Amino acid sequence: MSDAFAVLGLEPRFDLEPAALDARHRALSAALHPDKFAGSAATERRLALGKAIEVNEAYRALRDPVKRAECLLAARGVPIGDGAEPRPPAELLMEIMEVREELAAARRAKDLPALERLERAMRTKEQATTAALTQGFAAAGGAVELLAALLPELGKLRYYRRFFEELEAAMDELST
Amino acid sequence: MAYSDKVIDHYENPRNVGTLDKDDSTVGTGLVGAPACGDVMRLQIKVNDAGVIEDAKFKTFGCGSAIASSSLATEWIKGKSLEEAEALKNTQIVEELNLPPVKIHCSVLAEDAIKSAIADFRAKQAAKRALDEG
Repeated sequence: MSDAFAVLGLEPRFDLEPAALDARHRALSAALHPDKFAGSAATERRLALGKAIEVNEAYRALRDPVKRAECLLAARGVPIGDGAEPRPPAELLMEIMEVREELAAARRAKDLPALERLERAMRTKEQATTAALTQGFAAAGGAVELLAALLPELGKLRYYRRFFEELEAAMDELST
Repeated sequence: MAYSDKVIDHYENPRNVGTLDKDDSTVGTGLVGAPACGDVMRLQIKVNDAGVIEDAKFKTFGCGSAIASSSLATEWIKGKSLEEAEALKNTQIVEELNLPPVKIHCSVLAEDAIKSAIADFRAKQAAKRALDEG
């Protein structure tokens, strides 16, 4: 993956302002819009289209805290992905197993209040983890060891995301 | 990405889903996870006096390949000795389920889960022996 921050011409940072990201995406998309290249040569049109796709991909990546963190780590040469990251601690795995089982039970029972309770509890944890990452990235600067030490927090965020994906599916089921 | 028929079969009809009593001294529990994808897998074995795995259960929250890998793992280790179960390699799971390269880590997770369940069982037995011997 090319550096999403570079594609959008943004300073690489975890606590990116959503408004700044949106504005940048809008400005670049407008500048690369096919209408602007209607009278241009075919190669130029293709180039603009390719660039527009790249901009959209970078935008999607940076909007997602997990991918944003991955971009920042990868850019500094911290190995991420299968097998490269430390094993999750047992407490986290137990916690996740427990809440996923509770979620599955609440989904089966179509128990909306239980789903909402779980959502609130997990949002609090997600926010704490995001805050820890924000602080961690700011404190690490470019230090590879300090950045690598953020991998467990990133792992947590991925587990929470999986949880919310299933929660969303459960909520969708209830509302139909 | 297309799943193989065997993955779909295990995903739709997972074998041995459930729990064994983790406080039972004849039960070993392995709890493992893949932080890169947010998968969590619990695999449990119940071992008889002859050192044979007489029951195995699993619960996996993850992708189809992770569920299929753990389902297949429980199927394979039932009736096997601890040593035989320990010798099971993730590559056998990859072969049986036709897992694509991006899903090999799911089979690694299943192998880890078996090994960690066996390790937990042995640690419990050792603790019990130490207690018996006073």
